[in-house]
Amino acid sequence: MKTIKIALLCTPVVVALGCASYPDQPTTQKIAETMVSGAYPGMPAALVKRSVQDRSQQICSKTGETTLSQQETAEVAQAARTSMKYPASGKLMGDWKVGAKLSYDGGGGRIVGGKVEKRKENGASCSNCHLLDPREVNAGNVGPSLAGYGAQRGNSEAVVKYTYEKVYNAWAYFPCSNMPRMGHNGHLTPEQISHVVAYLVDPQSPVNKK
Amino acid sequence: MLKLRGGIAAIAFLCLSGGAYAADPLAVGRQMLADDNPGDLWAQRGERLFHEKRGPKQASLDQCDLGVGPGKVEGAFAQLPRYFSDTDKVQDLESRLLTCMVELQGLTREDIVKNRFGNLDRMSDMEALVSFIGSKSNGMKMNVRLSHQKEYDMYKAGEYIFFRRNGPLDFSCATCHTENGKRIRLQDLPNMTDPKQMQAVVATAWPAYRGTQSTVRTMQHRLSDCNWQMRLPDLGYASDMSVALTTYLNRSGNGGMIELPGVRR
Repeated sequence: MKTIKIALLCTPVVVALGCASYPDQPTTQKIAETMVSGAYPGMPAALVKRSVQDRSQQICSKTGETTLSQQETAEVAQAARTSMKYPASGKLMGDWKVGAKLSYDGGGGRIVGGKVEKRKENGASCSNCHLLDPREVNAGNVGPSLAGYGAQRGNSEAVVKYTYEKVYNAWAYFPCSNMPRMGHNGHLTPEQISHVVAYLVDPQSPVNKK
Repeated sequence: MLKLRGGIAAIAFLCLSGGAYAADPLAVGRQMLADDNPGDLWAQRGERLFHEKRGPKQASLDQCDLGVGPGKVEGAFAQLPRYFSDTDKVQDLESRLLTCMVELQGLTREDIVKNRFGNLDRMSDMEALVSFIGSKSNGMKMNVRLSHQKEYDMYKAGEYIFFRRNGPLDFSCATCHTENGKRIRLQDLPNMTDPKQMQAVVATAWPAYRGTQSTVRTMQHRLSDCNWQMRLPDLGYASDMSVALTTYLNRSGNGGMIELPGVRR
């Protein structure tokens, strides 16, 4: 009965090759990766490299309900831990006013016509996903609200260091979270991150005002 | 920019105080445009272009097979992307039109691709044709089927790419589109793993008239825009990757009632 059903489902064309069906995972991966490598014709190799995954990105790309193994989580966290770099000055907390500007700047690093946009520096894009200044209306919610971040946590050395590392490479604390590895990927410099940290923890920052 | 931000804030405030549109602050503008959609002009132009003898071969697109028979446009959008035996490829509406314009009209691929996205100085034939063909499935339901092996492959590859993180911001499509009620700033993000939301997304865009750009944009444009925001290089027009994503997304919207061109911000 089963074979009859399959035969009926198959069109004559595919009968010769067997019934068409979903490819298995390794085949899917092979087909899709070939597509990705061919998706950017005429683009400079240095830019196409952005679409090549590192090991952590590969691990963090599981589809749908597939969960990460403990070993994979540990590997991503370990890689993130060893990636940490700090400002040459050693100062992890910069100027909150500079950080404020960076936090609401969603530009930088985008490519048009095979060229990276010309800019003095990249924005930090924070408010695209987080509420920062509680008075801001135009804020996203893909990430958690950070309004009152420093007011709640204080600005001890431990809080400052954690916050810096969280922005530099969030995957050290939350492997595969949606948060981009801003410092590790070179989207922000260590100095820029120190300013963003100040915007979050400085008691004078609007983030911590009611 | 400041002015724009103030404007958005004002609209959001109005909506929040009004309550009715709190979940989608921009629904007001969309509603206002819906009854008087400028995209219809693109569809009309597209209809004229479709039947006009054009290109070095002075041919119309009346012999173009979009999957439902030569020259037939009714219901074509509803079942795309699909496999075409003459090209031995799965094609979306735009890659299929590209094939027809090259093969039947003798236009060059380079010229078509150069003019794929219009601006205020130059209209795009592709945007008009896609609007026309999309509108010819209005009132029908999205119905992307998988039967050829290459269709199964495309669908699965699209799903894989949807979750594939890359680029300097570690983004995949899934980063923004797998949860309910999320926004980038004030922009609502549909949850693309929810069939109900996908039906609305796929069946009413793209093509859609974009108010901020004063033109109709297509699915290929939307995907290339996403890629741009993800800091990836310019996505190849009608590339297999773009068709794979479209196959995955359009099929996820099966059952959605088509109303095209849509209206978007």
